[in-house]
Amino acid sequence: MALLTPTQMDALSELGNIGASHAATTLSQMLMGQIEMTVPLVEVVDLADIYRHVTEETAALSIFQMQGELDQGGYIIFIMPLSSAIRMTNTMLGMGDEERELNEMDESALNEVGNIMVSAFLDATAELLGIVMLPSPPVLVIDMAHAAVEQLLTEVAFDVNEVVFFHTKLICDQYSINGDLVMLPEMNTLTQILELMDNLLKKHAT
Amino acid sequence: MDEEPTRYNAKAIVIGIGDYHTGAEPMTSIGLGSCIGLIIHDTKLGIGGMAHIMLPESGGKRDRLGKYADTAIEILLDELRKKGSSPKTLQAKLVGGAQMFANFSGNLSIGDRNIEAVRAKLKENKIPIKGEDVGGTKGRTVMYCPQKGFGISIRRADGNCSEL
Repeated sequence: MALLTPTQMDALSELGNIGASHAATTLSQMLMGQIEMTVPLVEVVDLADIYRHVTEETAALSIFQMQGELDQGGYIIFIMPLSSAIRMTNTMLGMGDEERELNEMDESALNEVGNIMVSAFLDATAELLGIVMLPSPPVLVIDMAHAAVEQLLTEVAFDVNEVVFFHTKLICDQYSINGDLVMLPEMNTLTQILELMDNLLKKHAT
Repeated sequence: MDEEPTRYNAKAIVIGIGDYHTGAEPMTSIGLGSCIGLIIHDTKLGIGGMAHIMLPESGGKRDRLGKYADTAIEILLDELRKKGSSPKTLQAKLVGGAQMFANFSGNLSIGDRNIEAVRAKLKENKIPIKGEDVGGTKGRTVMYCPQKGFGISIRRADGNCSEL
């Protein structure tokens, strides 16, 4: 499927790399710990294979719609295993009890951390593209990750059978916290981003 | 009925979003949110089919038959007929159609629309619905072993399991 040329894939992963690095930096500041980040992957994924990328495991998902100068379209999702979410709140508030249920405090911590990270992600990428991108207020879902993503797909992929899936893993060994940052742009948004990147590359070439 | 938990059967065919399968092999749809896992079972032959339906209406699109309620039911019935099923011995169960969170766009729940569309299309084809676990706000994973009868197992995010 030639949805994206290799050059476009490269450009997108570079864009994602910049965004994700900024997000990782903010997370590192909030936790006051070292964060490792995997090389961001940009993949064209068939709907039927989404389950290979997003599991049915129960997790906390902080979901943001991408807004701003681009057509509203696409989502950024911060996915965190429940145990990690609890350890993150504990680390930030200096608490120790890990054997507890997820509570309201964890939920607002997740949304807040998600918000700061995703804002950093969008700021960095938007600045590069020379536009304004903002996250919507977050929606928090605690459920099977695949089930939550399905509902986003009904909007992003109602008339396409493949989606561009941007994915990076953030790991903090010190506190054994890990999370996934996933971007799911809508086709229009993607086209716009690619055009902006093309312009950028041309400008640098001349 | 076999007491062995069937839901972790590693040999089950995973039906991804917009996919479908018919036959006698164990099948599963994992992490159903607003999508519907539709199972049509042949009570006589011990075969059946599953589709992972994402949207209510194909609007004439034929590119991904399992993706839409109308085309998914057509193709399941078609394939089961080819495998020797008579419409009289076919029964259906549906799982999923949840509203995982309030939509950003404020649109009507896609889960509800999926449920309605599947029910209507089954009625049109005179396939009786023998069980439903639909709606709500939680994700589900469904497992179906045609050879063991029409029992299906459903697992939720909180680890709750049930048979339908």
